[in-house]
Amino acid sequence: MPKDDSLDRIAERLGLSRRAFLKFCTGVAATLGLSSQAGVAMAQAVAASRRPSVIWLSAQECTGCTESLLRATHPTLETLILDMISLDYSETLMVAAGHDAEVARHAAMKENHGKYVVVVDGSIPTKDGGIYCKVAGKTMQEHLYEAAEGAAAIIAIGSCASWGGVPASGPNPTGAVPVSEIIKDKPVINIPGCPPNPYNFLATVMQLITYGTVPELDKENRPKFAYGRLIHENCERRPHFDAGRFATEFGDEGHRKGWCLYKLGCKGPETYANCPAIEFGDVGGGAWPVGVGAPCFGCTEKGVGFTKPLHEQAKVATHTPPDMFPPVHPDVGQGVTPGAAALVGAVAGAILGGTAVTVRELGRMEKQAHDEHDASA
Amino acid sequence: MSSKRIIGPIGRVEGDLEVTLTVEGGQVARAEVNAPLYRGFERILQGRPAEDALVVAPRICGICSVSQSVAAARALASLAGITPPPNGQLAINLVHAAENLADHLTHFYVFFMPDFCDAFYSNADWHDETVRRYAAHRGEHIRHALKIRARLLHIMGQLAGKWPHSLAIRPGGITTPVTTSVQHALRYILRDVREFMETRLFGARLEAIVEATDWVSLNAAMAQHLHPLPDAAWFLRLAEACELEALGRGPDAWLSYGAYPGADGNLFAGGTWQSGYHPLSLAAITEDTAFSKMQGDTPLPPERGKTHPELNKPDAYSWCKAPRYRNQVMETGALARQVVHGTQLAHELVRRAGGNVLSRVVMRLWEMARLALAMESWVNTLEPNAPGLLNTALPSQGSGIGLTEAARGSLGHWLSVSNEQICLYQIVAPTTWNFSPRDHLGQAGALEQALEGLVLPDKDHNRIRLQHIIRSFDPCMACTVH
Repeated sequence: MPKDDSLDRIAERLGLSRRAFLKFCTGVAATLGLSSQAGVAMAQAVAASRRPSVIWLSAQECTGCTESLLRATHPTLETLILDMISLDYSETLMVAAGHDAEVARHAAMKENHGKYVVVVDGSIPTKDGGIYCKVAGKTMQEHLYEAAEGAAAIIAIGSCASWGGVPASGPNPTGAVPVSEIIKDKPVINIPGCPPNPYNFLATVMQLITYGTVPELDKENRPKFAYGRLIHENCERRPHFDAGRFATEFGDEGHRKGWCLYKLGCKGPETYANCPAIEFGDVGGGAWPVGVGAPCFGCTEKGVGFTKPLHEQAKVATHTPPDMFPPVHPDVGQGVTPGAAALVGAVAGAILGGTAVTVRELGRMEKQAHDEHDASA
Repeated sequence: MSSKRIIGPIGRVEGDLEVTLTVEGGQVARAEVNAPLYRGFERILQGRPAEDALVVAPRICGICSVSQSVAAARALASLAGITPPPNGQLAINLVHAAENLADHLTHFYVFFMPDFCDAFYSNADWHDETVRRYAAHRGEHIRHALKIRARLLHIMGQLAGKWPHSLAIRPGGITTPVTTSVQHALRYILRDVREFMETRLFGARLEAIVEATDWVSLNAAMAQHLHPLPDAAWFLRLAEACELEALGRGPDAWLSYGAYPGADGNLFAGGTWQSGYHPLSLAAITEDTAFSKMQGDTPLPPERGKTHPELNKPDAYSWCKAPRYRNQVMETGALARQVVHGTQLAHELVRRAGGNVLSRVVMRLWEMARLALAMESWVNTLEPNAPGLLNTALPSQGSGIGLTEAARGSLGHWLSVSNEQICLYQIVAPTTWNFSPRDHLGQAGALEQALEGLVLPDKDHNRIRLQHIIRSFDPCMACTVH
């Protein structure tokens, strides 16, 4: 690639080396399932200083989504997003207060009409005229209509904005609904999770900026690159599940040894997300809930997270294992006859073969379930 | 002549906040603080299995989510009558302190200092350098701080799996197995954190900061490296120039539940300070709804608390309830924690001018040094591979209380269970105390008191002073009304 000064300039702005910046962009491209060449294109798009205006609306939220973005190490929201985009309104991060902030928001919307991106975190309360979330004297519903009108794209970040999350669960005291139930004439890209993995959001934004396109979405309008597979499919504890090795109590031997958490209520088998593949916390090596021994509770998945009790066992769409598989290497007592040993060997071989078939079958069934999931998209 | 002004939305606080001021003769005659967001968590929690509080309650707030987890887990632990094993408690303390330390860091660099870059101060000789350091989004020192914050939050990756909203903290301890390699990783993280604080923030050894007993010794500890002036010393300079010590006097009554349990009790002792130390009496806590958009007029203790919105209540102006301690308004936070604990520097600052913008910020900075030292010792005390988690069988009925200290102050969860389901869940959060509305006795909340009487000489001056006062409490509105 010819030496491109703009890349050096952006790398400097971000406080990174050019190499680190390119590496980051390539990583994002990989998250999206694109080639490394796409990473270079992204780096160039970011450097080309096309800075789409972004209006970030916080509805019924907890700031967790913003916090998780601020936490991303390479680079942070402050450095990357703010350099890539022009964040014209964000309650958590903006400089202006009160009237000035409202003025900035309206100016940005007018100037970039039809071109800006709206990001929403939090659900929208609709009960009692929407009075449970008001900013600058207006309900969130009104703010959202106003912002969506001239938006090029709308991204709902987090489970609250994507499908209602906690506020909409149980008795839903405020009539909370997701963004897609308010804005019906424009597609809303959903990035669910509580909070979602920041890289899924960053990758979506990078694609928007680089190609002006939206990543391929499933039927819940979630990017397939992030929500295309069950957690169960990529879980590093999956071999324990297949072998029937389960933690049955918190702190028991199986739990300490890192066995499968299915029997503690892990919802990995019914939750679509790439958590085990991209992890959290930027420390590598199994840093995600299941990796530290905490069962997944399905935070990304409507109808699972905040809905099913923690201890309830997941509905395994693909395969339910027996309580225990017959041991592969049964203890052979002393003084065994050669005939008996041969018999044990034959049985063991059959079991091994059987297990292999089960695993293969399982793979096929999962692919089927996966395809059905896609087909219904 | 009196006029009414509404200030809001106020950015760079956590969540939604509006303040209505009635101004008479250039002075704030009445301040009404309103949290305009309500989600109904206390009702959402009802009817669920008790254990589910572990995932629902922390979602109140994505900033102090570990504090919420700790409070929920402790409420369940008190219901079940168990205590986590020492190793588990140490690991929880580390996760909790990492969050609180990160919060203090974020507050100082990202939320508080950028106000000094305001054009209002553009004639001051310190303005250009302040802009270079702390301009929102661009300031060089903000970037350094965010880098070390990300590093600090690697502790969450190591011990909590995910942040915010970790699932690792349970009534019986922490799910994460602490191995030797985790212990080493934690040491390296804390070494980086210490280096940042000693070179950029304080310009002094953390031990020296912690030992500072008064204004002079604090200044002296930090003045060892004069160029460039470390950020805390720079703040002291701005504080003097802007007379922050005279701004935002609160009720001067302080509350802390105490935090970070260890073999010898809490690292920070709990209690109250009202012209003297008093041990904590939970029976003294009530929540008043006289000016809250909530049903009921009688103050109720949290264990009998109710949360039913009442839309057409005359005079009510906030979704926030008004917690009181023996009917008194209390302030909570780092300053309160250290006054109650008996930290000499806090007492010295309070003796000079009570609770104010300066003393709140200084004690937050002091606490960062203290926490970093405590974390180093906890990491060294961890015993790799020792059990950190007990299984918990929750009783089908009973009640529990979970108390802890978030960065912003005292946090309590009150829980009752019958037929294995939650029948009552009440949360009293730090900013609920600090940003409460008035009560049936007409007493204004802590922030309201800090704003009332403020002289407002001109428009720009007013705006910036109001922002200093409001931000000095480090409000977390998501927690306040839940």
